[in-house]
Amino acid sequence: MRKTVSHSELLLAILRKDIRVYSRNMIYLFLTVLGLVFFIAIFWLVPDTVDEEITFAISPPLATLISEGKESLQAHGVPAQLLDQFDEFETAFEEEGFVLVEFENEELLIKAVSGELEIYRTDQGRFIIYDPDGDQQAPADAGKVSLDIGMSFPSSFFSDAVLGQQSTVTVFADAAVPEEIRGAMQGLIREMAFQLAGHELPVELPDEEMIILGQDRLGDQISMRARMRPLIAFFIMMMETFALASLISNEVLQRTVTALLVTPMRIWHFLMAKTLFGTALAMGQAVIILIFVRAFTVANWPLLLVIVLLGSLLFTAVAMLVGAAGKDFIGQLMFSLLFIIPLMIPSFAVLFPGSAASWVRILPSYPIVRLLYDVTIHGSLWSDSITLIIYAVIWALVLYGAGLFVLKRKVAAL
Amino acid sequence: MIEVTDYDKTPDKQSMPAINVQNLNHWYGKLQAVKDISFEVYPGEILGFLGPNGAGKSTTIKVLTGQLALKGGSAQILGRDIGRDDPVLQSQIGVTFEEKNLYLEMTAIENLDFFASLFGVRNPGSLEALRRVGLAERAKERVSNYSKGMRQRLMVARAFINKPKVLFLDEPTDGLDPVTAAEIRKTIKEEADRGAAVLLTTHNMFEADELSNRVAFINEGEIVTLDTAENLKLKYGKRSVRVRLRDGDSVREENLPLDGEKSSARLSELAASPDLMTIHTEEATLEAIFIRLTGRGLAG
Repeated sequence: MRKTVSHSELLLAILRKDIRVYSRNMIYLFLTVLGLVFFIAIFWLVPDTVDEEITFAISPPLATLISEGKESLQAHGVPAQLLDQFDEFETAFEEEGFVLVEFENEELLIKAVSGELEIYRTDQGRFIIYDPDGDQQAPADAGKVSLDIGMSFPSSFFSDAVLGQQSTVTVFADAAVPEEIRGAMQGLIREMAFQLAGHELPVELPDEEMIILGQDRLGDQISMRARMRPLIAFFIMMMETFALASLISNEVLQRTVTALLVTPMRIWHFLMAKTLFGTALAMGQAVIILIFVRAFTVANWPLLLVIVLLGSLLFTAVAMLVGAAGKDFIGQLMFSLLFIIPLMIPSFAVLFPGSAASWVRILPSYPIVRLLYDVTIHGSLWSDSITLIIYAVIWALVLYGAGLFVLKRKVAAL
Repeated sequence: MIEVTDYDKTPDKQSMPAINVQNLNHWYGKLQAVKDISFEVYPGEILGFLGPNGAGKSTTIKVLTGQLALKGGSAQILGRDIGRDDPVLQSQIGVTFEEKNLYLEMTAIENLDFFASLFGVRNPGSLEALRRVGLAERAKERVSNYSKGMRQRLMVARAFINKPKVLFLDEPTDGLDPVTAAEIRKTIKEEADRGAAVLLTTHNMFEADELSNRVAFINEGEIVTLDTAENLKLKYGKRSVRVRLRDGDSVREENLPLDGEKSSARLSELAASPDLMTIHTEEATLEAIFIRLTGRGLAG
């Protein structure tokens, strides 16, 4: 018996079919399950703490430098009570977040920086120098320390600096150490020499020394795990592009869509069903991920859902463009990458703050990544996010419009 | 064996044609694929579109089913102007395609149930439909495991799932083994007997001859002739018989025209001869008539 078929019945029929086809395709399932498991695992594996200390090697030990400096200066007639300030150097280093690994001589320091010797640190903060080529076993209850830079001071450094005589300090750095860090170490040595000589640095600093704009996160730095939270939600939405594009592409290549269009189903039913399926699929996974990484709060959940919805729509649109263009699996993969790579760039820019160039900010995925970052890490709410949301809505609609146009033309031309 | 129903008895020519095409034209860019063709198909009638590849058969079906836009002429199906956006009209038609566009990840019965749901058909009887095309035992198997012939049978079952009033069958037996092809022809005939108007494209003259109430020869986008197969054979064939007789160790043939007293007497004489081996009428095949009318064969 035949009855009139409504729009909602047609849409539901196509959605049920899409779910069935999706659930039986091992590649789609693999991508979905792998994505969820992989990203959740990555999130919980990356460290949740931030190491705010800078560790470097020094030779000879600071105590040796100080005592030899004191002896030399006393011999030059400098009163002992004036030299007591040297003892403050050790605590000054600690306050600045510098951790010194001290070596008796330059030869050992070079071996440590070059990796010939390994350095371990115990829970009590004691350093153990270990020779992997030796007979001893590696320390069991100590963590390995990466030592990439070291400074070798002449034993007369303190007295030379006080007496205004030139002395040579050698900085040893691993090849991988950036130029900026080497420069910073040179600056540190010069500052030490200036202070020892009793000179004021020719710089005027305000009382606070540094004005932190926004929340001061000193001692409360954003850990890598926290940074991963918005990123994995973004990546899981992006990954669904491949699956949905493949689903659309199969309909086009196998011409099943032609069979659909000689039934009461209209082309807009097809496009609407793909939009609903793709958006729900990407959004569902992003929400699962965000729950697992504990991103939702009582305050942010509606905002976070809106952001994820916009991101899912954006990637559904990309899938429509890719699905309409791909002629086979490889072609579709290549075409996907053409879109995915530029859309990934903002995620790295946000991962490394300060690196988002102006051209990155105009990419369609930028507002989504930025919003996810701001809401999940900085606790931004509606009032802080409205501009970016408008920006994200515009991009999602532009790309969605393009996706509909291209896919509709493709289907109509079959 | 397929019984050919007398055209004048079954198709309901008293009623409005189910398919009414007048001066249909279609172009692909500058190439005119269909040129000013006109025909009607009545309920219960099978009209065979016989022509070689590229003749314009599939293009005509694509225009009539809304897969291609109507670019010239007019066409009505069940009294409604054709067009892609007429769900009422499209709920009354069934289509098979040249390509096997089935959902491979789904089972046969799921494919049929899904398409039935698009037509709003409740209790579509998908298993019964599969039984008709000999696929009931493998109804719950994924279509990806089906052979080409099984997929074709499923395509035919899908076209019938909404009990359509008009069927467009594009090369429904192309490339199939004789047994499968015969099964599909039987099913098509049953649908016509039910009252469906069938437009069948084929380049198989035996199929057209066996199934069609009328045959249209289409070549380079034009209908060259349209009539019953019998009329075409009579019109273009020779009214003669070929008689083969044993002649010692060899075989002798005689051709006798069917008109005239002399022939009649000679035929009676030969029929009574103990040397008679076979008597064949010399009616033309559809392919021979097609070649005569178009100067080309059906295989091309």
